[in-house]
Amino acid sequence: MNNLLLDVVTTAGILFVVAVGLLVVFGVLKIINFAHGGFLTIGGYAALIVTQLHWSPWAAPPVALILGILLGMLVERLIVRPLYSRPLDAILATWGLSIVVVQLITIGFGRGTEFVLSPLQGAVALLGTSYSLYRLAMLVVALVIGGAIAGILQGTRLGLAARAVIMNETLAQSLGINSALVRFATFSVGAGLATMAGSLITPLLSIDPLMGVPWLLNAFMLVMVSGTSLVSLAVASLVLGGAQVVVSTYGNPVLGALTIVVLAALLLRIRPTGFARA
Amino acid sequence: MRDVRLPSERLKRDLRLLAVLVVVGLVLVAGGPLVLDRYSVSILIRSFLYGSIAVTVDILWGFTGVLSFGQSAFFAIGAYACGLAFTHYEISPGVALAALAAALVVACLVAMLVAWLAFGARVSALYVSVVTLVLSIVFVQVIYAGGDFTGSSSGLSGFDTFDLSAGAWFRIAGAGLVVITALGWIFVRSDMGSLLVSIRENETRCRYFGISVAWVKGGLLVASAMVASLAGFAYAGYNDVVAPDLGNFQFGTELVIWVALGGRGTLIGPAIVAVLVDFVSAYLSGSLPFIWELIIGAVFIVVIVAMPQGLGPALVSLIRWMVSRPAGAIAVAARLIPAPVRSTAILPETPAIELHKVARAYGSLHVLEDITFTGRRRELISLVGPNGAGKTTLIRCISDGQERSGGQVVLQGRDIGRRAPELCVHLGLGRKFQAPTVFDALTVAESLRVARSRIEPLSPWRRADDIRLPEAALRVVRATGLEAQMATTVRHLSHGAKQALELAMVLAMEPTVLMLDEPTAGLTKPERTVIGGILMELVAKHDLCILLIEHDLAFVREISSRIIVLHQGRIVLDGGVEEVVSSDLVRTIYTGEPQALGEPA
Repeated sequence: MNNLLLDVVTTAGILFVVAVGLLVVFGVLKIINFAHGGFLTIGGYAALIVTQLHWSPWAAPPVALILGILLGMLVERLIVRPLYSRPLDAILATWGLSIVVVQLITIGFGRGTEFVLSPLQGAVALLGTSYSLYRLAMLVVALVIGGAIAGILQGTRLGLAARAVIMNETLAQSLGINSALVRFATFSVGAGLATMAGSLITPLLSIDPLMGVPWLLNAFMLVMVSGTSLVSLAVASLVLGGAQVVVSTYGNPVLGALTIVVLAALLLRIRPTGFARA
Repeated sequence: MRDVRLPSERLKRDLRLLAVLVVVGLVLVAGGPLVLDRYSVSILIRSFLYGSIAVTVDILWGFTGVLSFGQSAFFAIGAYACGLAFTHYEISPGVALAALAAALVVACLVAMLVAWLAFGARVSALYVSVVTLVLSIVFVQVIYAGGDFTGSSSGLSGFDTFDLSAGAWFRIAGAGLVVITALGWIFVRSDMGSLLVSIRENETRCRYFGISVAWVKGGLLVASAMVASLAGFAYAGYNDVVAPDLGNFQFGTELVIWVALGGRGTLIGPAIVAVLVDFVSAYLSGSLPFIWELIIGAVFIVVIVAMPQGLGPALVSLIRWMVSRPAGAIAVAARLIPAPVRSTAILPETPAIELHKVARAYGSLHVLEDITFTGRRRELISLVGPNGAGKTTLIRCISDGQERSGGQVVLQGRDIGRRAPELCVHLGLGRKFQAPTVFDALTVAESLRVARSRIEPLSPWRRADDIRLPEAALRVVRATGLEAQMATTVRHLSHGAKQALELAMVLAMEPTVLMLDEPTAGLTKPERTVIGGILMELVAKHDLCILLIEHDLAFVREISSRIIVLHQGRIVLDGGVEEVVSSDLVRTIYTGEPQALGEPA
């Protein structure tokens, strides 16, 4: 029972980490970045390179973060910026980018499955059960990332500008906020969060060029039900991720793989605002 | 002035061209197996089938604006119907027919479920993309879960299938593509085709014309699903192999990519691109496996960003530019003729509209409370009140049964209950929105015909030459100069002309109660005078009951027969023009300046 509980909260943590970059981009730019899956994959391969260079596994997340931010800057400038007024086209163009990323990685690394070293090995005794230290660390990472984003939004000038753009972009512009810069910064950070998430989840599973797709789909559904709120995303990760764990444990893994997308779709039908407060 | 032709003349010319293209297409398809090598024939069979689905995706997305990622799942449903039947049963004509029937029925039922989920009244436009995405994910997992029965992740292969040569399959698939493209082409150029575009352009406006948008989109989705399933059935029948990948979200997205590359809303572009890309992919996947997909992905991004209309249209405009033909295309517009007067069974003494204790609350915030009044035919009632008084909310409560939180709205003796807007319209309601709400991509003539579709159904295969409009609508069209612009695309109209067009469209459905939300906003003084005169005429000569929201009090005073003053969600005054205008209470709450109401602006 305690094991199940730990599974639920750590799964929620992992889902939050994976989806938060998508949420940030959706919140400020109002577009769904389907290249999110591609960025996750890039993060995974960044961790692989770190492993192959025999660097410390601790180096992987920061390396992935920086790489993601740089790539995000490039992508925002070249692909996303011209599509702000066409949000549906932005979904398609970023999905095209995802295809390009997958093919480039396939050309560079091959189609095979790879593994990376985990910075934290072994298990720890907790609540009367022995539990994976790394999964627990992911929960901490989720809390840190969530706290950091909330801190930036509430406590910095950029955060204030971002909140203004989220609420009313036209008004923000007319008040002299450079919303293009806010978008640029947000997309880059969102991409960085995605690559970092990709590097963080790789010690838990294998790496292959298509690893981003299932995560993208889950993250997309979580963001759809969370709107633009970090708190809603945390709630959605906990509820839907928890349902997934329960279904996989007591039902079967196939149903478990469907839990998040199906529940999220049904939730959106019944309550179009999802977990977000109307 | 441009030379204006009737739609039927234009269609006749287009149909001749189409007939030639169809014949050429069929000849190519019939002769293909004689000149092509075996491998090309085999690949092209698949490419043709993909082309057919791309056509359905274009009708859904390019024309109607329904972005589906799950068309692959319907394709795979057809393929698995064939594969499962032939794997588990001895092949016979009966089994084949049953499998075909199953392919169509299952696709139809699943599409109905998706439509029911995706086209609900309150969900966002993106929701259909979410549901179809989930459909493709669920489909793949169901196949995985099917174990030996569905072949799980490796699929089914090596089953006995139809005893047909590759040449025969080539002709079946090719003819199928030609026929589906031709039928689709006729459909989107019909009056019904304008309806699809109007749904894409402004769904809400369509609903307020009494069009059941959900049924139109649902019907299209079901039809496209069945075509895709049929293509899938043929795919499995020829290839002798089915795999879960056929139904996954990546393939569903690839179909969308082909449509975007070929040019959404062009039908032929997506069909050609689907065939070409799939055919070339098959050749290059051996020598340049990943590079080819990389190129497709990169080209796709460039097309979406730089030429969103797609490669086909970009090519066409390039050729046009090179031969520098004068760009003046022939204008096409229907004739306007007066509609026969419909006898109304409603007794004239039945009030046109009755409100009884209507209320609207958001949580503890009461926007409207205790709104009770009766409007009769031949009354022009102005709703006035400061911003935030609840005027627009009131209009919404009258036109959408879901909006109010209490009370009753009765239109011509019939309670609207919880009816959706499109059904309230059936009770005789017409609503003009505050900002001009029109269909930018249609011409004036097409817009009027779509607006009239509740009374005169649209043809799915031809274009009518005449648009019958009630006298009131004709009056607006003629008085505002729209009659000379029947062939003009709405996007090129002036603001005033758009306002007039929307009014004419609303009148085209012959409402009894007409609700106008600031119809003169942004209009010049002469335009306003014309509209004011028309409104008074509508009331006097055409027996309408008009509810008007207006801020221009001089205008209100001139044309109203009665004024209702709303303040903080309640009716504070309801009476004749002079009575209200001279009331001190109104002067104070409305402007804070006692003299403002009395003086013309």
